[in-house]
Amino acid sequence: MGNQGDSSQVEAGRERELITRAQQGDRAAFAALVRQHQDEVYTLARRLVGDPHLASDVAQEALIRAWRALPKFRGDSRLSTWLYRVTVNTAWTHRERARRHRSASLDEYTQVPAPYGADHPEVAGEILELRGRLRAALDNLPESQRRVVVMKDIYGWSHADIAESMGITVTAAKVRLHRARARLARDLEESA
Amino acid sequence: MSVTCELAAPFVANSAIDGREVTPLFRSHASTCLRCQARHVAMTKAARELAAMESQTNAAPADLEWRVMSSLEGDLAIPRSWRTPVAVTAALVSMAAALVIWRLRLKAS
Repeated sequence: MGNQGDSSQVEAGRERELITRAQQGDRAAFAALVRQHQDEVYTLARRLVGDPHLASDVAQEALIRAWRALPKFRGDSRLSTWLYRVTVNTAWTHRERARRHRSASLDEYTQVPAPYGADHPEVAGEILELRGRLRAALDNLPESQRRVVVMKDIYGWSHADIAESMGITVTAAKVRLHRARARLARDLEESA
Repeated sequence: MSVTCELAAPFVANSAIDGREVTPLFRSHASTCLRCQARHVAMTKAARELAAMESQTNAAPADLEWRVMSSLEGDLAIPRSWRTPVAVTAALVSMAAALVIWRLRLKAS
């Protein structure tokens, strides 16, 4: 436990050092940060826009924006949290392009970790099936609804943070989430 | 599906995802409606699965780092502190060049 705490402190210290160096224009330090966070950024982009190729473009642009905005990063939040915000905003600007792309097919989601209960085949099968339907239902949501579900129910953002990132009121964010979940539930039922 | 069931559906789904009890307005209906109870159970599982997604990551494309870093070549060539003066100078030089070309064309005609 103590060792885990120590190693995470060392990691955090190392990341802070990389951030400081990158803020001063150190390319190698920024490349190291990109390597550390690119999977998280790409995964979020993929969940927001669906299409893997578009997600790759969104992730690329988000990381470029992050480089340009890095001098303004004061370290009030974790770098990953800050990168999530940059990615969400970037995905939002790609919204129109995303609409023209087809959502990712289910086949493209096969590389996922084993579900909990993987040692119980009957449970694992049920969960995998639910996971597949859930991803399809998420892909089926309109972009603005998918975004609130991804931010709230996957990443645990507050209503206020969602509202701020989308430029809407907290009430509007709550209403959108309510509708999105209702639609998700309906789609899940229909696909069962 | 009854009208009450249809009206209750979004509230049942939302309360299940939030891990809360169904709103009092539909609580008595949900407590006796098998369909609503099944929906609540299904959405509780879905919520658990959604939350679990946070730790599941897709590997970024192999060339993402290269694409990002090569896009930054221009940015990286100029130290941050020089960027504004360099941009202003570049704009002024472009304007001066445009002015010279315009004057030359004017003379030629």
